[in-house]
Amino acid sequence: MIQDVTSPDAAPASGEAPAPRRRFGYAAVAVLLAGIVLGAAIGLVIPHFRTPADDSVEAGFLRDMSSHHAQAVEMAMIAHAGSDTPGIVTLAADIATTQQAQIGYMQAWLRDWDLSPTSDQQPMAWMPDSAGSVVNGLMPGMATPEQLASLRKATGKEQDIQFLTLMRAHHLGGIHMAQEAEKLSGNEDVDWLADSMVAAQQGEIQLIDDLLKQAQAG
Amino acid sequence: MSMSTPGPERVPSTVKVGKTTGQGKPPAGKSGGNQTAADRQGNKAGKKGRKPVTPVKVSGGRNWGPIAVAGAVILIAAGIIGYGVYASVQGSRDWTDKLADISGVVNYRAEKNPKIDDRTHKDGAQTYVTNPPVGGAHNQSWQNCMGDVYTEPIANEHAVHSLEHGAVWITYKQGLAADQVDVLKKKVEGKDYMLMSPYAGLDKNVSVQVWGYQLKTDDVNDSRIDDFISAARIKASMEPGAACSSGNTTTGPITAGAGNGTGMDTAGS
Repeated sequence: MIQDVTSPDAAPASGEAPAPRRRFGYAAVAVLLAGIVLGAAIGLVIPHFRTPADDSVEAGFLRDMSSHHAQAVEMAMIAHAGSDTPGIVTLAADIATTQQAQIGYMQAWLRDWDLSPTSDQQPMAWMPDSAGSVVNGLMPGMATPEQLASLRKATGKEQDIQFLTLMRAHHLGGIHMAQEAEKLSGNEDVDWLADSMVAAQQGEIQLIDDLLKQAQAG
Repeated sequence: MSMSTPGPERVPSTVKVGKTTGQGKPPAGKSGGNQTAADRQGNKAGKKGRKPVTPVKVSGGRNWGPIAVAGAVILIAAGIIGYGVYASVQGSRDWTDKLADISGVVNYRAEKNPKIDDRTHKDGAQTYVTNPPVGGAHNQSWQNCMGDVYTEPIANEHAVHSLEHGAVWITYKQGLAADQVDVLKKKVEGKDYMLMSPYAGLDKNVSVQVWGYQLKTDDVNDSRIDDFISAARIKASMEPGAACSSGNTTTGPITAGAGNGTGMDTAGS
């Protein structure tokens, strides 16, 4: 039928015939473009679903552990400058350099995830059952301002003992936080770092106990 | 067949467009389709030239399916892109924009004042162009800013160095009521990159500053203080990664020659 109809006026017919094919071509290009655009859009959005959010366990742990570490660095630097005991000077240098480097990791990840290095939330808010563990803004194991002032004032063996005692408590608090983060977090990098903190600080506690015995005996 | 009868060339062509792409086929089989088409032409034949526009509309109607699908795809894509852009813009929204949103915050960085932008380390007492200072040449030693709450005024020359490291320095009018000081103290305790001290000759009850930015208020409960801290703490650092620990912990003004040590082995007061 159609062919019959078109045959009388051949010229318009031949002009019309390719048109649907062209239209199909345009449609294919349009679908392709839409696909590319869609793909780009998904690519743009997906990293935001894959990196931890502002209120995530990971973000909370990295922020809090950065502050926790910063105090360990502070105490270690006091001991490093003030102690005459070679074992303590070495331990202090080890703690200060290691933990400052770990702060670097943690801050870099927060930056990579487009998150602020700080939070409006209370410390330890990421950890369930953490109520009561923060006293005067201090996380578990952290020394009070008075204890730090006392550490700064102390000299010789007295400072050694204060440093080792404070750092032992600090490590216990830090290990607890890192173990909880490992349990709660599904992020490979965060788990790796938390695990290395637990292992290193557990090892250091044994060393601290030995040094504490020597200091108290001597 | 009947189509060829209404002589004008334009008419058959439009009819064909109608037939080939859409409705044409099924009605064509029924033969009634041809008649209706012919009737339309007959009607339109009266005005000939213009009327064929109507069948063109019919041809557009035939493409509604693909157009609707493409439109839906584009709408969804635009929605996703819109969300993606929104999310990424919100997520990476700059801290300076957040500070700019807080009314009353003075942006001294924008002034490009060399007296404020100066980051050199100089010994001894320095003069500053703002009160309290928000930047400028300072001593080599910084004031310890590990959530330190100083009960006596501290040296500007040390505090400015803390600002350079990214600390938020809360200052309050000397003699401010103890319960009001406690409100401020709660914002500082246990937080690194925070320090607080009374300040002599302050024109408002509270002045909060980071390097290059300042907010003054008479109300210790002013929510802008928290907004300021939240936006700028650490972010305002001129030396990312620089620490607040190992700083000077003594109070009081700079005396000649002092302020060059780290302050670690000086007894804190």
